[in-house]
Amino acid sequence: MIAEATTWLAPLVAQGDFFTDRSEGSATECVAENKTVCLGWAWDNADRFVSPTLEHLVLVGLSVAFGFAIALGMAVLSHRRRWLVPTFTGASGVLYTIPSIALFLILLPITGRGNVTAIVALTLYTLQIIYRNIVTGLGNVPEAAKDAGRGMGMTERQLLWRVELPLAVPEIIAGLRIATVSTVAIATLAIFAGAGGLGEEIYTGGLLRDVFKTAIVVASGIAILMAVFFDALYIGLQRWLAPWRRVRAI
Amino acid sequence: MSALAPAPPHVAASFLDTFGGAIEFIFTPRQSVGVGGDVGGLGQVGEFLATHVWISALALAIAVAIALPIGVYLGHRGKGELLAVAIGNAGRAIPELALIALMVAFIGVGVLNVTIALLILGLPPILTNAFVGIRQVDRTAVEAARGMGMTEFEVIRKVEFPLAVPTIMGGVRTGAINIVATAAIAPLAGVVTLGDFILNRNVYGEEGVLAGAILVALLALAVELGLAGLQRLLTPKGVRAQVPHSLFGWRFARRSVNAEA
Amino acid sequence: MNTRNGDAEALSVRFEDVSKHYPGADAPAVDGLSLEIPEGEICVLVGPSGSGKTTAMRMVNRMIEITSGDIYVGDRSVRDRSPAELRRHIGYVIQQTGLFPHRTIDDNIATVPRLLGWDKARTQARVEELIGLIGLDPELRSRFPSQLSGGQQQRVGVARALAADPGVMLMDEPFGAVDPINRERLQNEFLRLQADVRKTICFVTHDIDEAIKMGDRVAVLREGGRLAQFATPAGLLMAPADEFVEDFVGADRALKRLSLLRVSDISLWEAPLAYVGQASAEVRAKLEGAEVPHPLLVDSERRPLGWLSERDLEREIVPDRPDSPAEPRLERDDVMRDALSDLLQAETQYAAVVDHEGRIAGVLSIEIISEFLGSGEALVEEHSAVERPLE
Repeated sequence: MIAEATTWLAPLVAQGDFFTDRSEGSATECVAENKTVCLGWAWDNADRFVSPTLEHLVLVGLSVAFGFAIALGMAVLSHRRRWLVPTFTGASGVLYTIPSIALFLILLPITGRGNVTAIVALTLYTLQIIYRNIVTGLGNVPEAAKDAGRGMGMTERQLLWRVELPLAVPEIIAGLRIATVSTVAIATLAIFAGAGGLGEEIYTGGLLRDVFKTAIVVASGIAILMAVFFDALYIGLQRWLAPWRRVRAI
Repeated sequence: MSALAPAPPHVAASFLDTFGGAIEFIFTPRQSVGVGGDVGGLGQVGEFLATHVWISALALAIAVAIALPIGVYLGHRGKGELLAVAIGNAGRAIPELALIALMVAFIGVGVLNVTIALLILGLPPILTNAFVGIRQVDRTAVEAARGMGMTEFEVIRKVEFPLAVPTIMGGVRTGAINIVATAAIAPLAGVVTLGDFILNRNVYGEEGVLAGAILVALLALAVELGLAGLQRLLTPKGVRAQVPHSLFGWRFARRSVNAEA
Repeated sequence: MNTRNGDAEALSVRFEDVSKHYPGADAPAVDGLSLEIPEGEICVLVGPSGSGKTTAMRMVNRMIEITSGDIYVGDRSVRDRSPAELRRHIGYVIQQTGLFPHRTIDDNIATVPRLLGWDKARTQARVEELIGLIGLDPELRSRFPSQLSGGQQQRVGVARALAADPGVMLMDEPFGAVDPINRERLQNEFLRLQADVRKTICFVTHDIDEAIKMGDRVAVLREGGRLAQFATPAGLLMAPADEFVEDFVGADRALKRLSLLRVSDISLWEAPLAYVGQASAEVRAKLEGAEVPHPLLVDSERRPLGWLSERDLEREIVPDRPDSPAEPRLERDDVMRDALSDLLQAETQYAAVVDHEGRIAGVLSIEIISEFLGSGEALVEEHSAVERPLE
């Protein structure tokens, strides 16, 4: 580590160029001067970023999936038992208020270092927004549709799964969208829980290596792109799952 | 780790152990694990806490001063919906660590830079919620107010703003939490807040780290409570009934402004 | 009583001393209601708000539970089966339609058949049949409810209720949310439909005109959920049970009555007929003791050409062109109310009534109308709702 640090001595304050010059010299030179983005170096070392990106995706994917499953369960439970709503809202709210790093570290002694802790914490973060959106979505179902459904002989369960939840899909997807985008951002801190993810490149590979700019920029860029990608994905998902929302009334 | 206790589960025992140690850390100074000198104790905790609080407060104040008027104005005029929503979305996508790291990399360390970073993360929810909150005020009430001869400013002050308080305060609370959370990693940029305990295990030890985490969590909860109380105070009586669970509750703007709906 | 495809028989509905008490309320919402709706008939529950009409209807499919008494559909008490099971065999149409926004028209209509587990082919065939029955453009089948007009949505609501061929249909102000012009159209269409399918229908409305138009029988409920009168529309109009019913029906009940009759329903007077070229003396002879004191000139086909005045008869031979034309000219199928209106407008006392071929069938006068209304005959001449004149 010390040897590497010596190799990559770099000025700390950004008095260097803001733009790289690919035509000039080799990647090593660019790195040595710690320019903004050493594309050459980044290209050569692309595989350094692959693993953290994949880890990041896994963290986000699993957390949102678990979060959705749990929040859905909570919503179904509290649908017929309204008194549960403030309790669930409050509990998930407390979890959301606690800053992510703090939560990661508080969980550490309980669940140990590693991906499990990260996923547990990230899942807990998603709960409030997903739960709230499912509940709101269910609340927006037109009363007439519910009355008609019951009047036609649907049981409460059939009503929930065939009418209410499908009609709540747009709100639910909105919630998932917000949750996913937030989780992509929060997961950069997962390294503090001993997990992987892009935070690895930002912190360990970037800040700690005498503020190696390229690593920071590339890793941050990937994170932001990932968030944008998911955002677009969800918009498409909603269009696909809720076609009736797009059509205009006569 | 600590020895296996036969009766209580291993995890619980060691957790309580570490927990206890963390609590102790807060109150009692002790020898540093790594670098020499004393660490821990109320004095140091108080010092870091103070820094954490004032820089968060500063950032929040500026964020509110900028975002609130803009959001309210845009919401009142009904313009810039796409922008307000987009900023909210974008704000959520920015990882705090990346932001701080980029700040350090390109601008450097110091209070100013940290404040800017905190601003960037605290502004969006305040702006978006202010916009949406004003937008969703009952239009008939606004029409009636205009019809009674109120100036545009009076309409905002007497009708739109009071009715939008819950949503606006929800945005402020989210912004505040974002700021407090990001301030926790401010030590990376040279501003020593409570996060210092968390980021430097080799100086403060395991207990120190946990202590830092607990302190940051408690601070966040305290801020939430405080702002919820403030919201309660500011919410006009008639509206209070409509927003039952505000504590830890609906802080997100109820967006009927989905881009695709 | 067989229905269209003979699958399901229409069932009778019987209320036996049915009451509904809400806890904490002083007065019952429905108080000892007893009435029977025979199979295949439309019974309208009508009354002011607070009269419990909707509550009573919703007790049939147990959307509201009965406090005391019982309701029988066919021969089975509604408490016999689980509510969900019961409701799958009862059609249910509500004012706001309650169509599922997230399902196509096809899917909406197919809801109950699917709940009952019908196979795909059968469901498809039935949906197609119903689309034709309600007169909906087949192109709209794959659209969503929000893409249809209010009137179209209402029709889909009716089709959805008919889908599983229930023995009974409940309709709660189904045409209330539509504008008056479309409402009339929907009412007429529904009556035509009912002529075809002959379901037992329990129909709730607050509009007495709608009740009289749509009902084979009408139950007037008063505040407190008590039955004020249960009779045919004619009975209601001719013989209201008490002051409340009289008030509710309205001061113009005689006129309302006329809307339900056709000219052909009453016995007309005869006018002495004069043919072209006939001697006036002959015609004058016919005038003696005739019901109508004016001769009517007709052609060889007995089609009216005009009324002959005194001056006309002074000639030797009856003129081709009489003084007064044969206006107004009424038809046997005309609604009585419109006929009266024409008579009044024309300021004549008598109007010639012709049949489908334009040949004279008789003469109508205001006197005849009022005589008829006053007689007992009026109550006997009762049409079922589906046979009444439609505008």
